[in-house]
Amino acid sequence: MNRRKFFKLAGISAAGLTEKLITSADAAGIPSTKQFIGVLNDTTKCIGCRNCEKACSEVNGMQVPDIENDNALEKERVTDEKQLSVVNKYKTDKGTVYIKRQCMHCWQPACAAACLTNALHKTEEGPIIWRSDKCMGCRYCMVSCPFDIPKFEYQSWNPRILKCDMCWKRIQQGAIPACVEACPSEALMFGLKKDLMEIARTRIYKHPKDYVSHVYGEYEVGGASWLYLSSVPFEQLGFRTDLGNTPYPEYTKEFLYAVPAIILILPPLLYGLHHITEPEDSEKK
Amino acid sequence: MLESYVFVNIFETKGLEYMLILIFLVGFIIFLRYFEIHKQ
Amino acid sequence: MEITAKKGIKFIISELKPRGELFTPFNIITIPIIALGLIIVAYRFVNGLGSVTNQSQIFAWGLWKGFNVVTGVAFAAGAYIVTFMVYVLRIKKYHSIVKATVLNGFLSYVFYAGALILDLGRPWNIINPIIGNSFGFNSVLFLVAWHFMLYIIAQFVEFSPTIAEWLERKKAKKFLQSLTLGAVVFGITLSLLHQSGLGALFMMAKSKIHPLWYSEFLPILFLASSVPAGLSMVILEGTISRRVFKDLYPKHSSKHLYEEIVFGLAKGAALSLFIYYFFKAIIFIHGRHWSHITDMWGVWYFIEVFGFVLLPCIMYANGYKNRSIGLIRLASLITIVGIMLNRLNISVISFYWNNPNHYYPSWQEYIVALMVISIQIWVFRWVVTRMPVFKESHH
Ligand code: SF4
Ligand code: SF4
Repeated sequence: MNRRKFFKLAGISAAGLTEKLITSADAAGIPSTKQFIGVLNDTTKCIGCRNCEKACSEVNGMQVPDIENDNALEKERVTDEKQLSVVNKYKTDKGTVYIKRQCMHCWQPACAAACLTNALHKTEEGPIIWRSDKCMGCRYCMVSCPFDIPKFEYQSWNPRILKCDMCWKRIQQGAIPACVEACPSEALMFGLKKDLMEIARTRIYKHPKDYVSHVYGEYEVGGASWLYLSSVPFEQLGFRTDLGNTPYPEYTKEFLYAVPAIILILPPLLYGLHHITEPEDSEKK
Repeated sequence: MLESYVFVNIFETKGLEYMLILIFLVGFIIFLRYFEIHKQ
Repeated sequence: MEITAKKGIKFIISELKPRGELFTPFNIITIPIIALGLIIVAYRFVNGLGSVTNQSQIFAWGLWKGFNVVTGVAFAAGAYIVTFMVYVLRIKKYHSIVKATVLNGFLSYVFYAGALILDLGRPWNIINPIIGNSFGFNSVLFLVAWHFMLYIIAQFVEFSPTIAEWLERKKAKKFLQSLTLGAVVFGITLSLLHQSGLGALFMMAKSKIHPLWYSEFLPILFLASSVPAGLSMVILEGTISRRVFKDLYPKHSSKHLYEEIVFGLAKGAALSLFIYYFFKAIIFIHGRHWSHITDMWGVWYFIEVFGFVLLPCIMYANGYKNRSIGLIRLASLITIVGIMLNRLNISVISFYWNNPNHYYPSWQEYIVALMVISIQIWVFRWVVTRMPVFKESHH
C-alpha cells in the first residue's frame, strides 16, 4: 500500500465515524473532554437561505431579520451590534458563493488578551464569551481584533460589547449552536476542532476539484475554532488572507515580558547613579 | 498554506541596517563635535 | 480641633476664589469651551458615546484617546527627564524648573487619565482592574492604566513639598522631601514603561495601521520620541509661564540663568531627535517599506520625518550654537506639532487607511478635547498663583 492510499483510507474511516456523530441535530452537545470545539462551515454546501441569521437573532434576543423579503444579500454586510452573524453573497467564476461571518473564536484571541478586565474570556472549550459585570467599555478589544468582530452599543448610556459567543449558554446545556441547528443543508457542522479538521481535509482530498486546498481558520492568526471550506480562493470571498499565522497576543508578549525585568533593573540602576554622582565634598545644605 | 514555502530571506536588510548604524555612530560624534566647537 | 477645621475650610474657600482679572483673552476663549464641553460630556453620559462622537465600530478609538491620552502623555514626559537630571544626575542647573515641570506632568496625567474615563462606555466598572476582582494581566492597557495611577501618586509625592510649603507646614515638608528621591526613581521607571506601553497598545492593531507607521518597535519609538516631546514642552511651557506669570518669578531670577537652562534643554532635544530620526530610518529599512512611499501616504510620512523630526533637530542644534532663543522656541513648537502628528498618525489618521469610510472627529469631540486642556491650564494657573512653584525654595 502506498502512502497516498493509506492516507485516503485513514481519512475516510475517520470522517465516516465523526461525520455521523456531528451533523445530526440531536447530537448530545459537547463531549466531556476539554478539547476545543468549533464549527466547520463548508461553503460549497451553503444555499444562502439565511436561516442561521434568523436563528442567531432569535437566540440572542435581537431584532429578527425578515429573511424572505429584505434582499439583504444584495449588499456586502458586516456584523454589527444588532446582528451578530451575517451571510454575504459573492459572485465568483465557480458560481455564487455564500459566506456566513461571525466571530472566529480564535485559539489565542486578540480580544481577550487586550481586555484589561477579563470581561472577554476564553472558555476552556474554546468559545470566547463576554461578561457584562466586568467590562468597562474601553473598546481596546475592538481595536485589537483582526476581524473587527466585537461591536459596541454607541447609542446607549449602558453599552454592551456584542459578539457571537457560539451560543455558550446552549452549549453548556448540551445543545449545539442555534445557527448549526437551523442550517437545512448541512453547511454548518459542530464538533471538536480536531475532528472537524479531519473531515475538512478528507473532503479536500476526496474532491480536489471542488475545494481549494486551504481550510481558513486552521492556522489564521494562530488558528480559530471556526473553519471554512471553499471552492474559490478565500481572498475572493472577502476574507483577509494577509493576517499571518502568528497569534495576535504574541505581538505584545515580548513587551509584557520585559516589564518585570525593567522594574527590577532600573530602580537599583538609578539609585546607583544617584550615589556615584554624589560630589566628594558633599556639602550639606 | 503552500505560499509559505517560497524562499524568503528575512535578513535581506541586515547589511543596510548595519551600515545605517555605522553612519549613525559617526554622525552622532560629528553632531556632538558640532556643539563643542562653539565653546572654544 | 474644630477651629482648625473651620479655619481650614475658610482658607480653602478663600483660595478657591479666582484672583486677578476675569476678562482676559484666555478666559474669554476658554470659558465657553469649558461650559460647552461640560454640557457635551453630560449629554454623552445620558445618550451614549455615539450621540456626540463619530467613533464607529471599526474606528473604536477616536480623538479623545488618540489626542488626549496617547499624545498628551508624551508631552508630560518632561517631568521624568527633568527629575532624572536633577535628582539622579544632580545637575543643579535645572533645579529651578523642576517644580513647574513636575506640576505640569502631574496635572497632565490627572486630566488625561480623566479623558480616558470620559471615553469609557461603562466607567463604573473601572474599579474592576483596580481592586482585583478581574485583573487582565495579559493586557497592555492594564499595564498602562496601573502605571498611570501609580505615576500620578509618585508625582504627587514629588510635588507635595511645595504644597506643604504653601500651607506652612515645615515638618511635613521635611518629611515629604525625604520621600522625593524614592518617588523620582519609582516615577522614572514607571514613565519608561508606560511611555513605551502606549506604543505597545497598538501592536495588536497590526493589520489596521499603515505599514509605514506600524512596527514591532513601536514601544521603543514611543519612548525615544517622548524625550524630545517632553523637553520641547518644558521649553514652551517655560516660555509662556515667563511671560504670563512674570510677577510670580523671584525678582532676582536672572534671565541669563534661565537662558542657560533653555540651551541645555535644546541640546538634549537636538540629540534625542537625532537618535529618534535614526530609529525611524532603521525601522524603515528593516521593514522594507520602500514599496509604500510612492503614494500620498509616503509623502505624508516623509513630511513627518523630515519636516517634523529632522528639521527641528537641525534648528535646535543651530539655535544652541548661535545662542538664538527664538530659533529654539520655534523648534520646540515644530517638535510638538510633529510628535502630535506622529501619535495621531498611528492612532487615528493612518488607522484603517484602506477603509473607504474614514473617521473624522465631530465638533463635539474637538470641543471636549480642548476642554480637557483648558481645565488643565486653569488648574495649573490656580496652583502657580498660590503655591511657590516658580520660586527657588531653599532646603
Ligand atoms: S475573531 Fe476577534 S472577537 Fe472573535 S475571538 Fe478572534 S479576536 Fe476575539
Ligand atoms: S471594552 Fe470591555 S470587553 Fe472590550 S477590552 Fe474593554 S473592558 Fe474588555
